[in-house]
Amino acid sequence: MNARLQKLIADARAAWQAEQASGRVRIRVTLDTSSIARGAEETLARLREAAASRKIDADVGITGSWGFCWLEPCVSVRSAAGTHAVLYGNVTPDRVDELIEAIAAGRDLPSLALGVIEGNATPEIPLLEDHPFMKGQVRRLMANLGRTDPENIDHYLAHGGYEGFGKALEMDAEAIVKEVLDSGLGGRGGGGFPTGRKWDFLRNATASPRYLICNADEGDPGAWVNRILMEGDPHLIIEGMLIAALASHADEGYIYIRYEYPLAFERMKKAVAQAYEKGLLGKDILGTGKNFELIVFLGAGAYVCGEETGLINSIDGYRGMPRIKPPFPAQAGLWNKPTNVNNVESYANAPLILRNGAQWWSSVSDAKEKGTKMFTFSGHVKQAGCIEIPFGPKVRTLLEQYAGGLSGDLPLKGFQPGGPLSGVLPASDIDLTLTLDPYRERGMFLGSGGVVFFDQSACIVDLCLFFLGFCEDESCGRCTTCHGGTQRAVEILRRIAAGGGRDADLDNFEKLIGTLVWSNCLHGQFAMTSIKTSLKTFRDEYVEHIVDKVCRAGVCKGLMPGRWARRAAPQPAAAAAD
Amino acid sequence: MAAEPGLQELRELVAEFQPGRGHVLPALHKVQHTYGWVPRAAIEVIARQLNTTPALIYGAVTFYSDFRTHPPATYEVAWCCGPACRLRGGEAIREAIQDELGIGLDEQTPDHRFGLHVGQCNGTCHEAPQIWVNGRVRGNLTPESARDLIRSLRDGE
Ligand SMILES: Cc1cc2nc3c(=O)[nH]c(=O)nc-3n(C[C@H](O)[C@H](O)[C@H](O)COP(=O)(O)O)c2cc1C
Ligand code: SF4
Ligand code: FES
Repeated sequence: MNARLQKLIADARAAWQAEQASGRVRIRVTLDTSSIARGAEETLARLREAAASRKIDADVGITGSWGFCWLEPCVSVRSAAGTHAVLYGNVTPDRVDELIEAIAAGRDLPSLALGVIEGNATPEIPLLEDHPFMKGQVRRLMANLGRTDPENIDHYLAHGGYEGFGKALEMDAEAIVKEVLDSGLGGRGGGGFPTGRKWDFLRNATASPRYLICNADEGDPGAWVNRILMEGDPHLIIEGMLIAALASHADEGYIYIRYEYPLAFERMKKAVAQAYEKGLLGKDILGTGKNFELIVFLGAGAYVCGEETGLINSIDGYRGMPRIKPPFPAQAGLWNKPTNVNNVESYANAPLILRNGAQWWSSVSDAKEKGTKMFTFSGHVKQAGCIEIPFGPKVRTLLEQYAGGLSGDLPLKGFQPGGPLSGVLPASDIDLTLTLDPYRERGMFLGSGGVVFFDQSACIVDLCLFFLGFCEDESCGRCTTCHGGTQRAVEILRRIAAGGGRDADLDNFEKLIGTLVWSNCLHGQFAMTSIKTSLKTFRDEYVEHIVDKVCRAGVCKGLMPGRWARRAAPQPAAAAAD
Repeated sequence: MAAEPGLQELRELVAEFQPGRGHVLPALHKVQHTYGWVPRAAIEVIARQLNTTPALIYGAVTFYSDFRTHPPATYEVAWCCGPACRLRGGEAIREAIQDELGIGLDEQTPDHRFGLHVGQCNGTCHEAPQIWVNGRVRGNLTPESARDLIRSLRDGE
């Protein structure tokens, strides 16, 4: 391996080991957007204060997410001897004293413990890997999360970081592409297109300079897997882009982060600055003569900028309107130069493939789709969090095991696999696997990993109104089919919800479905998916709204509340009817 | 109403940005970060600095929902319109806040203390339904607790 890289890694390992053997209690607080929303900054400050005032020789630091988002703030405590470490959940600021008390007395705090993360289980606290939420998960992308400090490049280097890049440095571009192709890595941004093939397009491009873009726009509401990675292990993404740069002879890269993710933006910027300092980015990287510049770019609030050509126009400073393809980005992308766009999670897999080999990487899943995939889940569930699993499990597993089941006592009505364009499916489809094909076969798609579950208190017309309203608001305005079509669909849905549904409305929807597919980009082409899929499986409910003027969930205020209404969350309209 | 910054001040603020380098959004972000909004004069100054037209800069400003063309309120309240928040009663939260403040979305109270706008899900759905007050998540709301929160801000928390 490159001698300079070897030295960086050796130094980082030595520093990590010294830290481990310091004989101090190590306290690590998950500090990310989810935990901050639940008071982690205050927990961290109070832990520091309390440790100091009680003269506990503790090393208090930060780390990324364990995925237990609903149980934040998570805090891990490692004994001074370094033989025993426990992860705690729900360590809200008011519980800090209790935890510090236990630490001072040299005991665990079983009431808040999630599991033992180092050493043996105790009679009171099982191993974290035996926690129902952790079982079946395979944490590769998330391997460092919860364990390392995302703001410290040495922590990354001490855990196999940049080793995949080191290997890639010894390979020619074609061999790197082949390794990624052999792994079977498919794009994680929703489409699943083979990542290696995209890199090969760029490798074979003739013009220069060439650009790499990391799509960190993660606009699908309910998806936050990219945020978890950027906030928890930013160097994984940088290393992935470096490998892609070697594979495709790219000169410059952009990480385009949505405006709603300020912490991810700060963390990525810090990580990039550190990589420059270590000579891993910039000119003559590690003395190899290779150059790669990397810029962290902040979006400004526009869903269509997640569409790759909208994103390119946005970097260029224009309104982020998707372009007409062809030409494709690989031919004429950023500044009309060859460009490759990949999702955060796609790039993040590259270091794992290069470090451990394509065979190792792909053997984790029996499904056609290879590798692991991160998912977040939310809605009417007990536990909204983030997991990483090999491709293959059923939606049911996601709901029942990881999301802890439904939060209320109403039955499941359905779910949305991944984003407002992906459509809605009924509860009877709960045994579909979380792979690409089942959704493709239904004219929808799996999406980028944010699954939303809803129970019978949700109204299908209201849900579609939300999804179509989102598509209308976020339409860039280029195509009449898309901006006019979504507007029309929203008008009809509003009218139905207000009690003015007409017999012709279902046909109107069919016409709109047929028209919107002519739109330029996938935003318009898939905007009607939620109506299209729900017309198949929830048709009765549309008819009830239109003909009987009944909303079974009691959500639509212009209609009579139906059979699920009284058991749903308090509805002023339903209360009045009593 | 905040005064518009001077031209010279604006020119210095955006002097680091260059044409043809993808600097439109970074320049606008810097202006908004500095003043809390994008004043009219900034549009012309940025256009000149980046060797392009005010029409293009204005086009960008109005395309993105996070650029403000007026000064922010003391409390900028973003109401999350995402699916988890909606499923968990987000509409009732919006109605309660609008009623309490007497304003609609994209409006400010006459004293400019409160502004209300739509926010997009930031992946803290575990706190649904929620709003963000000046970027800080206030979650697990009920219509009553949302009203209480607004009242306590109004009375000077
Ligand atoms: C409206 C719209 C929004 C999109 N948003 C995202 C996004 O937030 N993140 C993303 O990676 N891909 C998004 N995509 C898909 C991208 O256009 C592109 O296919 C993807 O970034 C390619 O990366 P991959 O091959 O690694 O999946 C979006 C597409 C559309 C049509
Ligand atoms: S389909 Fe919609 S978002 Fe896409 S280019 Fe057309 S108008 Fe814009
Ligand atoms: S839906 Fe409101 S935070 Fe995700």
